[in-house]
Amino acid sequence: MAQALTQTIYRDPALFYWILFPITVVMILTGILRHYGTVLLQAAPKKEDIKGRRETRSLLRGITLRNNAPVLSRSSFQARKNYIIPAYQSGQFLKDPDAKGQPPPNPMTDPAGMEQMMGMMKGNMATMIPQTLIMSWINSFFSGFIIMKLPFPLTIRFKSMLQSGVATRDLDVRWVSSLSWYFLNLFGLQSIFTFILGNDNAANQMAAQMAQMNPGAGAGGLFAPGQDPDKMFQNEAENLEVLEHWTVLDGVEERLLDDLDIV
Amino acid sequence: MIDEKDLAIHPLVPESIQHNNLTLSQLRNLSASLFGVAAGILGLESYPGFIFYLVGTLLVSALVYLFPAKREPKRYFQGGLWELIEKDVLNGLMSFVLTWTLFFGLVSA
Repeated sequence: MAQALTQTIYRDPALFYWILFPITVVMILTGILRHYGTVLLQAAPKKEDIKGRRETRSLLRGITLRNNAPVLSRSSFQARKNYIIPAYQSGQFLKDPDAKGQPPPNPMTDPAGMEQMMGMMKGNMATMIPQTLIMSWINSFFSGFIIMKLPFPLTIRFKSMLQSGVATRDLDVRWVSSLSWYFLNLFGLQSIFTFILGNDNAANQMAAQMAQMNPGAGAGGLFAPGQDPDKMFQNEAENLEVLEHWTVLDGVEERLLDDLDIV
Repeated sequence: MIDEKDLAIHPLVPESIQHNNLTLSQLRNLSASLFGVAAGILGLESYPGFIFYLVGTLLVSALVYLFPAKREPKRYFQGGLWELIEKDVLNGLMSFVLTWTLFFGLVSA
């Protein structure tokens, strides 16, 4: 067994006080800074004019009606449907009815679209800048020596990443340099931020990157820029039209008797 | 999969679900960090360490099942017992590895 021989390296305990703890503290503080920076950078929601507000709200009303149709009785559902569908189809709720049928504005020139892009840019910056800064700080200050031993083995593939700057061929991959402590912090600090900052914090870089991958999943507006509101109204009218209505009160007597065990 | 009809008859309040999940995930995160501290101090390496984490997580799940959930996990979690067990285990693993490595290094230095 070639592996039976374990390598031992005697390290100065001062390594911990001058490398491990500073990196951890810096990572935590950066997370807190990121959180408050994001809070500050968030633009205040823009005031919407009454027509635009009516447009979004009336579309939302249709969607809510469709989702909660079982709560309504048949006649009241029918009454709401009879009001909403013709209004949707005639474009009664549109912000400017004259723009109906025209091609949507180019998202690059539309001011609302620009604002959204700026918000995304800001988020990007808040992620990228601290990450690059800390990586280069660690690389320039603490590279070239081993600081700790991981408690679990890794494959040889990680050697070039985790032992960067240490030019020893035969050293076990479990001995790692400071950069890998940085990576461990990057992944593992989320729970600590949850305790410091509350649950929906913006401190974690990994979470922020995940959110960038699928921006649609977030709390995006109902109307994405470049989408024709008239088309959305027509779609919603069609959805309501084909909805097969049923109420929760169907068969309620049997269910009640079943629950009471009277039969 | 829950039937749409069932959902309308027995509606779920999203805020309550969120609150339950939040409570569970906070418990998981805290316990994972503490398990990491314990594993580091005990000097566990590779597989025993991960097994220690799994056993500890199962223990926490069992305690959650017995006390806060009062043996009725279906009342508090949509997916029942399994959801209670597997939720946030991978998230906790990250913090476990972090504190494990830290304390392993501190103790064995």
